[in-house]
Amino acid sequence: MAGKQATAGRTVGRARQDRLTRRAFVASSLATLLTARAKAADTVKAYSIWPENYARPMMEAFEKASGIHVNFIRFSSGEALARVVAEKNNPQVDVLFGGPVETFTAGQGQGVFEAYKPAAWSELPARFKDANGLWTAIADDPLVFMSNTQFLAQHNLYAPASWDDLLDPAYSGMIQMADARTSGTAVTRIFSILQVHDRNEDEAFAYMKKLRKNVQVYTKSGGGGTLPVGLGQAGAGIFFIVDALFTRQKGYDVQISFPREGIGSAAECIALIKGAKNPDAGRKLIDWATSPAMQSLLAPNKINFIPAHPAVKPDPALAAVLAGAKIIEIDDTWAGANRQRIIERWIAEVLNAS
Amino acid sequence: MKYAAIGLRLRGDPLRWVVIAGIWLLLFLFVLYPLGCLIARAFTDQGGVTFASVAATLTNPNHLRALRNSLILATLVGAIGTLAGFLFAFTAERTDLTHRVRRLLDFAALLPLISPPFTTSIAFVFSFGPKGLITHDLLGLQNAQVYGWNSTVAAEALTYFPLAFLALRPLIASIGNDLEEAAYSLGGSRWQVFRTVTLPLCLPGIANAFLLLFAASLADFATPLILAGNNLPVLPTDAFLQITGMFDLKGGAVLSLLLLVPAALVFFTQRWLTGRRSYVTITGKGGARPQAAKVARWLRCLLWAACIGLAAFIGYLYALLVYASSVVAFGANSAPTLEHYRVIFTEGIPAIKDTLIIALISMPLGGLYGVVVGYLVGRMRFAGRQALELVSMINYALPGTIVGIGYLIAFNDEPLAITGTAAIIIACYVFRYSPTGTRTTVALLAQVDRSIEEASFSLGAGTLTTFRRVMLPLILPAFFAGLGAVFIRAMTAISATIFLVSINWTLITVRILENMTELSLGPAAAFSVFVIAVVVVVTSVLDLVLGRMMGGTLQPSALRT
Repeated sequence: MAGKQATAGRTVGRARQDRLTRRAFVASSLATLLTARAKAADTVKAYSIWPENYARPMMEAFEKASGIHVNFIRFSSGEALARVVAEKNNPQVDVLFGGPVETFTAGQGQGVFEAYKPAAWSELPARFKDANGLWTAIADDPLVFMSNTQFLAQHNLYAPASWDDLLDPAYSGMIQMADARTSGTAVTRIFSILQVHDRNEDEAFAYMKKLRKNVQVYTKSGGGGTLPVGLGQAGAGIFFIVDALFTRQKGYDVQISFPREGIGSAAECIALIKGAKNPDAGRKLIDWATSPAMQSLLAPNKINFIPAHPAVKPDPALAAVLAGAKIIEIDDTWAGANRQRIIERWIAEVLNAS
Repeated sequence: MKYAAIGLRLRGDPLRWVVIAGIWLLLFLFVLYPLGCLIARAFTDQGGVTFASVAATLTNPNHLRALRNSLILATLVGAIGTLAGFLFAFTAERTDLTHRVRRLLDFAALLPLISPPFTTSIAFVFSFGPKGLITHDLLGLQNAQVYGWNSTVAAEALTYFPLAFLALRPLIASIGNDLEEAAYSLGGSRWQVFRTVTLPLCLPGIANAFLLLFAASLADFATPLILAGNNLPVLPTDAFLQITGMFDLKGGAVLSLLLLVPAALVFFTQRWLTGRRSYVTITGKGGARPQAAKVARWLRCLLWAACIGLAAFIGYLYALLVYASSVVAFGANSAPTLEHYRVIFTEGIPAIKDTLIIALISMPLGGLYGVVVGYLVGRMRFAGRQALELVSMINYALPGTIVGIGYLIAFNDEPLAITGTAAIIIACYVFRYSPTGTRTTVALLAQVDRSIEEASFSLGAGTLTTFRRVMLPLILPAFFAGLGAVFIRAMTAISATIFLVSINWTLITVRILENMTELSLGPAAAFSVFVIAVVVVVTSVLDLVLGRMMGGTLQPSALRT
């Protein structure tokens, strides 16, 4: 009787122990889940503004070349910068990868970057680097007009060859372009229009107000209108060449053209985050991305950015599209200094005009 | 769950106060503290307190226009969505549908709720634009425009009406038959009975549904982002754009604070509305279904036609999604392919894994938390009860963008630096999406008279027995409702968590948004189809388990709230 009880007691004890072990196991695995995951030996973390389908082949090549693992996540330029600024006191990434220069000049103003001049720095033209090395260009990305071929045919139009062509009533409610509140594409577009009007703001805004009558919607992302134009939901739009050519590669029947007055271009940049947890790996990624090692991979991967490094020639097909295009320069310092004011004026006078 | 039992004891039970203090601590940490950080950001400038940014916002006509638009939009969506939800719920419960048709309506109503954001909006854009499948290809209209009021209201009502359906259906199913029977036997006509018995009994549910929809629309930034166009600015979208586009955290914070006012107003209106009369159905929830057809034949046919029409339209929108996920390039190359699914199950695996882990952890935590708060609010009297209810609703009523940014500011630094972990996303889901479970608990409890518990006590049953035998079966559906709601939202939400995803933890919905902006419509559609499939499986399992546990006294499908 007593023996039986003792056995029972032991069994209960063992069961309790099992339960405790199991609990400890559950608790420890939960703890692992809830804290940051264990880090690989050498990992660089990055916010990529380039879409995943452009960034991934680049990052994979870097991993192969350097043995450093890249942990990256993609955000639009506005969101990526907002995160970097919000995380200022506790940076989550080492590098901000890709994205138009105006995002980087805005970040520069917020003091979120650490100066670093990569090996290729001295070989780049002035437009492709910050004088203090806070950011460096990895590619160039001009704007283009993209129109739906069928739409043009239906309305007896040629592909627009002047900014004024877009004012044709045939385009009424059929043009899509990006919203300046969210999109670097839109900001580059507005500065292009200002530049075309020799920075006469009143003239430029008068044009934009006229253009607005033909605008169907201002999209939140720079490439947001490409699919609608491809599908014929919209007739035409103003996009970065990389997005326009990607639309055509997907099989949509679109025309790409340039205004004879000229159109702007945005340098795509990279920067080291101030207070990065692994700055050495970050610098290696920047060295690699600004060198021909990465930029010579753009063409084989059918990514239609123009390489920033003078030693890398663009893909012949891309060069053919660009032949004869008048690409004008936007002064980054001037644009950076006036960015906020110009966007606010655009919101007040163009976006909210109705 | 066991803590809820404590509430049944008499006043002065120390454990009860421990539970209340614990909830308050959680609410302080995960609701008030981040909100406080956000407000501090809005009202301070370089160390000093300032009202300049608030004044600037309030005098800006564009922001006032956005506020007005938001209120009108939320009211329209609330009204239309509640009407559609009531129609669906009433038809499903009171028109003698065959089981199969009822399941079909169930499924159609569930689809929008369990879909990732943007799916309805994107389907609308393809259906109603100048080359839209419906406006152009079907109706032959030229230059139809999709952006603006009509499509935004329609898309939001379509997306959120299932909230009303799910909130109203169990109420309609359980409304005292006896009362209706009594009204009929007293000679009431069908319309009289509906107007004087059925409808008043549904009123708390209708107000509740309207509140849910109003709040959902007020907080929705995804639909207006796609469909509102240039002439319909709304506050959540403007706040989102202010923060992410203009790098103006402060301006966004101020804009979002404007939304707090209407959200609070609606909340208190609802409380006043439901507090005026007693809606107790004396015998508890009861289980028997109506015996006689109580709807005229012509009306029944009309209801069927309306519901089946709506269901068919929803079916069409989702067929479009499945189609987009299985052709090479939507609109350009219709060759069938499984490539998009290959992409999501290779490159997309990290996002899928992270999302499932986070959803499966959030689900039980959120379900439990929701029921405990609901029980405290619905059954107990204690100082600060209304404050607790209000605070527990804040994260639900606030635009997700603001909750996300608040969390980002609050938890990036000590003392609770959890940015970049799964914990911050889980906390966000638990405190943002548990109010569904809370409200369901409150609504269910409102239908059960206290005398049932008292009877149990006076028959000698202890606290635990009473809880297990009487209260547990009554609020079990609410617990499962909470589980389902948290899981569904954990799989499909984006507005708050887009700011909380990190290098270490990412989510499927964020990938979908990225795919959309990358023009990769195929993978975006494939991800959406995958999410819907997972949610259908998990909610069906919950349904089954609940059905088992309820021992067949209630129809399981009636309880999927």
